[in-house]
Order: sequence, then structure tokens, then C-alpha cells
Amino acid sequence: MNTLIAKSKPASSALALAKVSNGPSWLGLAGALICVAWLLLALVGPWLAPHPVGEVVSDNVFDGFSLAHPFGTDYLGRDMLSRVMVGARFTVGLALVAAVLASTLGTLCALVSVVSPKWLDEIISRIMDAFISIPSKMLALIMVSAFGSSVTLLICTAVISYIPGSFRVARSMAVNIEALEYVQVARTRGERRLYVACREILPNILNPVLTDLGLRFGYIVLLLAGMSFLGLGVQPPDADLGSLVRENIGGLSQGALAIVIPALAIGTLTIGVNLLIDYLSSRRSRRTGGH
Amino acid sequence: MNSTTLWLIGRRLGAAVVTLLIVSMVVFAITAVLPGDAAQQALGQFATPEQVAALRLKLGLDQPGVLRYLHWLMSLLTGDLGMSVSSAMPVSELMGGRVPNTLMLAATTALVSVPVALLLGIGSAMARGGRIDNILSFVTLAMVAVPEFLVATLAVLIFAVNLGWLSSLSYASDISSPWEFMRTYALPVMTLCCVIVAQMARMTRAAVIDQLDSPYVEMARLKGVGPIRIVLRHALPNAIGPIANAIALSLSYLLGGVVIVETIFNYPGIASLMVDAVTNRDMALVQACTMLFCTAYLSLVLIADLCAILSNPRLRNQ
Amino acid sequence: MTDNKNTPELISGAESLRVFEGLNRGMSRRNALQMLGVAGVAAAGAGSLFGAAGKLWADDAPVAGKGKPGGKIRVASVASSTADTLDPAKGGLSTDYVRQYMFYNGLTRFDVHMVPQLELAERIDNTDATLWTITLRKEVTFHNGKPLTAADVVYSLNRHKDPAIGSKVMALVAQFEEIKASGPNEVQIRLGAPNAELPSILAVSHLLIVPEGTTDFSQGIGTGPFKVKEFKPGVRSVAVRNPNYWKPGLPYLDEIEVIAISDEPSRVNALLSGDVHAINQVDPRSTTRIKASAGHQYVDSPSGNYTNLIIRQDQMPGKSPEFTQAMKCLLDREQVKSAVFRGFAVVGNDHPIAPGSRYYNADLPQTVYDPEKARFLLKKAGMESITMPLAASPAATSSVDIAVLLQQSAKQAGLKLDVNRLPSDGYWSNHWMKHPLSFGNINPRPNADVMFSQFFQSKAPWNESGWQNEQFDQLLLLARAETDEAKRGKMYADMQTLVHDHCGIGVPVFISNIDGVDQRLKGYSTHPLGGFMGYMFAEQVWLDA
Repeated sequence: MNTLIAKSKPASSALALAKVSNGPSWLGLAGALICVAWLLLALVGPWLAPHPVGEVVSDNVFDGFSLAHPFGTDYLGRDMLSRVMVGARFTVGLALVAAVLASTLGTLCALVSVVSPKWLDEIISRIMDAFISIPSKMLALIMVSAFGSSVTLLICTAVISYIPGSFRVARSMAVNIEALEYVQVARTRGERRLYVACREILPNILNPVLTDLGLRFGYIVLLLAGMSFLGLGVQPPDADLGSLVRENIGGLSQGALAIVIPALAIGTLTIGVNLLIDYLSSRRSRRTGGH
Repeated sequence: MNSTTLWLIGRRLGAAVVTLLIVSMVVFAITAVLPGDAAQQALGQFATPEQVAALRLKLGLDQPGVLRYLHWLMSLLTGDLGMSVSSAMPVSELMGGRVPNTLMLAATTALVSVPVALLLGIGSAMARGGRIDNILSFVTLAMVAVPEFLVATLAVLIFAVNLGWLSSLSYASDISSPWEFMRTYALPVMTLCCVIVAQMARMTRAAVIDQLDSPYVEMARLKGVGPIRIVLRHALPNAIGPIANAIALSLSYLLGGVVIVETIFNYPGIASLMVDAVTNRDMALVQACTMLFCTAYLSLVLIADLCAILSNPRLRNQ
Repeated sequence: MTDNKNTPELISGAESLRVFEGLNRGMSRRNALQMLGVAGVAAAGAGSLFGAAGKLWADDAPVAGKGKPGGKIRVASVASSTADTLDPAKGGLSTDYVRQYMFYNGLTRFDVHMVPQLELAERIDNTDATLWTITLRKEVTFHNGKPLTAADVVYSLNRHKDPAIGSKVMALVAQFEEIKASGPNEVQIRLGAPNAELPSILAVSHLLIVPEGTTDFSQGIGTGPFKVKEFKPGVRSVAVRNPNYWKPGLPYLDEIEVIAISDEPSRVNALLSGDVHAINQVDPRSTTRIKASAGHQYVDSPSGNYTNLIIRQDQMPGKSPEFTQAMKCLLDREQVKSAVFRGFAVVGNDHPIAPGSRYYNADLPQTVYDPEKARFLLKKAGMESITMPLAASPAATSSVDIAVLLQQSAKQAGLKLDVNRLPSDGYWSNHWMKHPLSFGNINPRPNADVMFSQFFQSKAPWNESGWQNEQFDQLLLLARAETDEAKRGKMYADMQTLVHDHCGIGVPVFISNIDGVDQRLKGYSTHPLGGFMGYMFAEQVWLDA
């Protein structure tokens, strides 16, 4: 293969991207708008909610649209609009923090292990493998029983569950880059390991890492719903969006708003975040030309 | 090259044994720390302290934890997985009934999902920024965003309850014809595909795009190589590492993480067995399930790494 | 409450509640002598409790030939795991009970009015409610061909006393001082103290009869209407008709497969898609779906099952009687009934006896939701505007929802409750009764005596709120030995008053069991003991395809 040219010329990529440049921009804009909207809702939602989140406001469950309750009512007859507004904060906050932490730590470990001596690489990799094999239910239960239930703990559990995956993905790419000539050159130049990791490798794996982050965000939103079942995390009457879907699953057959709305909310949030990430990473690659 | 590959496999096998040992110790430590033990769980809500003590004695739970662990480890070395305390059956028997089910479901799902994911990922990478890419991106993202239990329940509602085409339960032993097989496996496989296709397709797309941006592809393009040939001959081989890793992660999920699908479709597989085992504090069974899952995961990851190495000549020589 | 369209043979929910109440009340006069009350009979010395073989079995038993023989069905229960067992002593879930009633019989059996009827026992006599003689039915054989003898009964009852067996009714059997065979077909039980209610204790599923010496229960050898064809814990069981069953003409079905689907929407979907014929524990919200389906119906039976608030009396703040009283005033029972159970429940009055059951004290004033009174009481106790954690768990049916409603009501009185949702895993061993405020869930018990002895006696291991009341304890012992039905009723009424006034237990509602059934399945009815006709449907139903 004729791939031995040093990876360092921005001009060529611009050519490759020229036909793309008008593609993702409006999608990226839409993604950015969705994200901003959700962030705003997460910030002010709980204050705007028309009803207390736990109050039963109607005798009818799984109600449809009405002026009093635009999003209908849930399985106990509570106002869905209020529940979604309050739930947004938990979902956006928790998932964002957990996803960013998991990806950052995972990528960091990957970088460290790639530029480290073989033995350290080996140890880190084995520990990650061991982590991924521990049943998540056990992890959640041990967390609850050992430390009680709190939002911090919920984030920790989500992060621990997702670091190994993020590590795997980042490491597999970092290994490829590390073997490239220019990295080898930098090494022989006597650059420090940290420099090699941050300046030479990281920029070249950032795009897939960001993609991975976007996906992880989506998975963590859904993971929260499962965790709440094990008693970990957001305590009633509050509920995150995933839990809202889950607790109202009984309304699925009648197409109740109580399940449609939170499902849509998760959908827009996940899609928005990923569109934004796609946009950012394509802009990034345009700016840096891949390296 | 062959010898380095063999050396790598050998070293990995050695490392795998160490990893399994670590995992077994961690799992054991966790079971020991978890509140409640097998005796309490078996007796349930209305246990008397006297009964708990007697049952502990009977199940050998009165011995120190380390001793029990060593005992378990010793019998494992002789190939004995031990007895499940919750069902009083040998662990091997319980597992034996379920492993084929899990493998069957995982294999079927993999056969469907991997080609679909690769096709979607490569397709949208090639059409990057275009309408097809946008639509595909949107669809795969939507699939990530829908909770698994919602997909499964909705699918059952439509295809089993309303249309009556497919079965809402997937009990694995009563299958006699390909049609039956379709009927029982269609819904769980579809649900699982929704969950894992997105991840694999997105990662494939990202990895391929990464290569398409690289100078050598540019060179090839300038030389007038066709787009399909560029992707298949130049970009893909270099993107195999990350793609294989994403696939390995997704497939390992199929082996140990499909508890929701197993519950909803009443499919007796390993994932729900593992959850049962944790609930019942059934140490030997938890260990066996975890070991199995860990082994499967390590093998998948090894295969992924081998793919990466074989596809990248520079790694081969390290 | 319901309209079970085109199902004339089925009792509707409202109607069954009425029948249930009426019959139970009436029963105390009419059937008392014959059944449980012992009044008069025991007073006369050694008398026959059950008129000699007068009735062969319960009056709800079908006449042979009423149903149609043949057919296979599949039923889905709620929970199943590797801990599934065919050992009656260890049964703990509806799945276990359903299976066990297919493969075994008891000495007696509850009819739909919770009155024990003779089953494997042909006759039960007693002296002073202390020495009981049970004559066994002859020519009953186990599935393996072995005839039923007194030794089997002695073994089946005695094994519960061994703590290592892990029996769920060890506490109940502790009063059996001596169990011996007094003849090839006669068993004598000597109780430590008089207990007129022994026949109803013998009807619990844990005391089903197994062959002498059984230690491996996976074969399910019993005298029951079905035999084990396949039993895989956590997966499924298949039962086939026992052709030599001792009740002529029964059972009707050829084969019953039992599985479990823990997810409620999936269970309902499996029913509606025709993959299973019957399910239990239907969410009240799913009843509209089942009603809307042409081939299906739901069956709801009021029961004695309740989820209760526990206010520990041995620690603050429950130590203060005002606080305890305030908490009871803060339970909005009507709201719990309508919002959580959609009306499929009966309002409770802070004691464990359900309206309509025998000995129910109807004269006791109903505790009602009164935030103002609660605020006043809290102020009096000096506990205005305190914050308390409230432990709830999916393990205790609907307790998380009840807790959220209580939290809202408590706000009205200035009390702040932090709901702490705990995992069902390990809830009973680590949290239940261990917090100042928590929730429990109690399934129906065979009779009032068992209920009070197990959960309210001062020294009872499951005295949930840890209350101590000497007067109550004395009444309990007196009532157990009392042979005069009227006096006994008065004592139980007084005990309910004591529990209602002083115990740290809030019982918001009694929860109805809702089953979903394929309309081709006939002979299906309600039972206060639990879903699936008190887990005993197998013998009674037939398929009219």
C-alpha cells in the first residue's frame, strides 16, 4: 500500500470536504438548537413546571391532550408536562456528566496505555477486561448497599460501566496511529510520552472518540431507567426521562402521551447531541485537515 | 508475521487466565460484601434467625469466605463448576440448558446485524454529507434513542397482538420447522438488531471517514481510482481495527447483556440466569456465568485485535 | 366495577365481593359448627368437627361431568427463577403455589369462602381443640403407585420443624407438639395449647402432603390431579393429567404448562396474542385492554392482601403516639384506591382483617384522610416541619406509588417525607421493619389467629411495628382457646380496635387480585386467597375450544 507518506498535509482534505461543506451545516445547526433548548429546559424547567411533580391532578390516567394538561397525565394521574420538565434536568445533567466522564477517562487510559511500556499497557488492558465482565446488576447493587443511593453514585456507576467500552474503542485507534511514521519520528526525536499522546495521537482519534461519546450519551440516558429499577439514582417522585418511559409502559397500547412524550424527548435529545457532535467533528477535520 | 501472531495469541491466552482469576476474585469479593446471603434469600420475607443459621450450616455458608473461594477454585480446576445452592442442581446442568439458547440468539442476531451495520456504515461514509448519509444517520440515531424495552414491547404489540403474525414468546425448545424458527426468533432478533446496529454502523462510518480523509486515499483518488474501490481496497482495511472492536463490544453484549429481551420474550438464556444467580446470592452460579461471559468477551476482543493487527502491517512487526 | 361481557358463568368483581362478604358473615352462624368454629362441638368433648364424610369435598368443586375433558393450556405467572421449587415447604411465589397444587393435595383445602373443606382427610375430630385426630381418605395413591398412609402425613408435617429444611411455615408448625400415626390411616396431632383453627392451618400450601422420606422434590410425587412431565427451574414446568386421581372425573385438562413472565405488559401481551391462556397479577390499568379483546376477560377477586405503612414504635418518631396517629390520618385511602389501584381495592382501616372476612369489626370508626388533624397532632408531638425518610420498594406491591402519594399528603400537614426507593433485591432481609418508616406487604393468612399471632403479638418475630400490648397478647391467647363463637368474635373485634388505635401499622387498602383469562377456559372463578383461583385452578378448569 502506498500509505507511507507522512500524514501532514491539510490541502488534500479540504478537497475531500469541499463537496460536504454545505451538507451538515443546517443539520448541525438543528442539532445545536436542540441541545441549547434542552440545556435551557434543564436549567429552568423545574421552576416553570405548572404542578408539583408528585401531585395527582386528575382522576384519569393516561389522559390525552387537554388545555389543563398539554402532555396528558401519567399512570397515577399526574401532570406529564411537569414531570417531563423536571425529568429533563436529571437526564441532561446526569447523562452529560456521565458520558463525558466515561469517554474522557476511557480515552485517557487508552492514550496512557498506548504510549506506556508494554507491561503497563498490559495491566491497564487486563483491568478493563475484568471490569467489563462484572455483571452490571451486581455493580449497581453493591453501590446501593455500600454507599446508599445518590445522584453522584449513579454517575459513578454509569461511568464505571462505560469506561471499558470507551477505552477499547479509543485504544484500537490509538494503536493504529501510534504505529505511524510521524509518531515514531516524534518519539525518536525524543519527545516526551505526554507530548506524543496529546499532540500526535489524540487529535487523530478525536473524531471517532466524539462519535463514541455521542452514542454513549444515548446509552446512558437509557441506562438510568434501568438503574432506577435497582433503587439506584433519582428518587421518586422525581424521575428521569428513561424512567418516565418505563413507568408509563402500560399506556403503550393506547398510544398514551405519557409514553410518547418522554420517548420523543429522549429521541430528540440523543439525535440533537449526535448531530451537533457530527457537525463539530466535521468542522474540526476541516480546520485541522485531519492532523 | 505468523510467529508474532502466534506469540500474541499465546500471550493473550496467558493474560486471559490471569484476567479470569482477577474477575473471579472480584466477583467473589462482591458477593461477600453484598448484603444478605443465599440462606436469607432462600428463606425470603419470613425467615427466622434460627432457620437462617441452620440453612447456612447446611449450605456450608458458615465457613470463612476465603476457604469457600479456594474450595470453589480447586473444584473448578478439576472441571467441576459446583452446585447451585438455590436450585440444588449442578451448575453445569443449569448452564448446559441455557448456553445453546444464548448462542443461538446471539449468532442469529450477529448474522443479521453485522452485515446490515457494515453496509449502513460504509454506505453513509461514502455518501458523507449527502441526503442518504443524513437519512441513515437519523435512522441509526433514532434507534439508539429508543429504549430496548420499548422497542420489544411495541414490536410484540404490533406483530403478535394486533397482527398475530409472530409469537410473543420465544421459548427455544419447541421448534420444528424453519417457519417456526422465524416466528419465534423474529421479534427478539429484530429488537436486538435495533440496539446494536446503530453502534456498529456509527463507529464504522466514523472509522471509514477517518481513513477517507487520510492522504493516501487522496492520492488514490487523484490517481483516478473509483470510489467503491477506494473504500474497499484502501480505506476499509485500515479501518478494520476500530470496526472490529466496535463489533466485538456489541457481540459481547449479545452474550451477557440481553436480560431485557430475555425477560420480555421469556427466552431462557444466560443473562437472566446471571441476574437470578445474583438475586439468589448463588455464588457458584454467579461465578460460572461471569467466567463464561468473560471468556466470551476476551475471545471476541482477541479476534478483534487479531483482525486489527493482520490488517495493519505496521502493527504486525511490533 | 367490571362487566364481563358474554361470560354468564363468571362472577363479576363487584358481585364476587358481595358474595364474598355476605357468605363470610353468614358463615359464622350457619357453617361455624360444621367448619371452624368448634363451638359446641368441642365443648361437648370429643366431637366430630366435620360431620362424618358428609361432604366429600368443597361445595365449589364441580360435579363430575360438568366440564369437558382434554386439552392443553399454558399459563404465565409472575416470577420464576432457579429457586423455583416443588417442595411445598419452600414455596414462596405464586408460580410455586400453582405448581404445588397441581401435584399435591393437602389434608384440607380452602373453599371460596376461606372455609377449610376435607381433602385427603376423611374426618377430623378433636378433644378440647388440643388433641386432634385425623382420619385419612382410603385408596388414595401417590403418582408412583404407593398408597397414602399415616406415615406420609406425619413425615410431611414433621419436616417443617427442622430449621435446616427452610420451611416457610416453621413458626406455624411449632405449636404441633406431637405428630404421630395412631393407626395405618389415622394421625394424631397434639397441640401445645388449644387452637380451634387447626383445620384451616392444615389447608395452607406449605402443608401439602408428600410421600414419606422424600428429599428430592424435583419429581413432584404427590397425590395431586397432575403429574410432572418436565420441571426446569426458572424456565418452565409441564404437568400431565393424573389418570388415577382420587376425585372421579377430575381433572379435565390433559396438560398444563406453567411459565413466568415478570414484565406485566409482556404478560398481558402474551395473553392477548393467544400464546398463553391465563395470567395473574394484571395491572388495573391493563383491564381495559383485556376487556376490549374479544376472546379474553379479566377476573378480579378481592383478597386479604395488603401493603402497609410501618411506623416503628420502639424508636422516634414513632414512639410518640401522636406522630403515629398523624401518619394514619395522612394516608389518603380513597386516593390510593383510585390512583394506584384504579378502584380494584377495598379501603382498609389500619388493622389486618379485610372487610367481609370472618370476625371483621364493622363498628370500628374508619380512619379518614385529615391533614388538619395530622398537623394538630404533629404540633402536639413537637414534630412540625420535621423531615423523615420513608423506605419503599418494588418488593412490597405498589409501595413506591403509595409512598409518593403519602409524601404529597404529608406536605399538607407540613411534614416532609423523603421517599427512599430501595431495590427489591434484599429488601425483606435488610430494610423491612428496620427503618422508622417503611412499607411491608402481607399476603392473606389462613385465619385471624395466624394473622395476629405472626404479625401483631408482642414477641412475634414479624411484629412489624414493634408494638407491645399486653392486653392484645392476652386476648390473642384467650381467643385461640375460646370455643364460644360469639365470645370469640367479640375478642377478635376488640383486638382489631387495639391494633387500629395503638399499633404502628397503616393499612390503606386491601388489594384485589386480577387475573386475565382466555374465554375458552371455563370453570374459572375468584378466590380470596390469591390469583389463579387461589392457585388451585388446575383441578377445576376445562377448555371449551
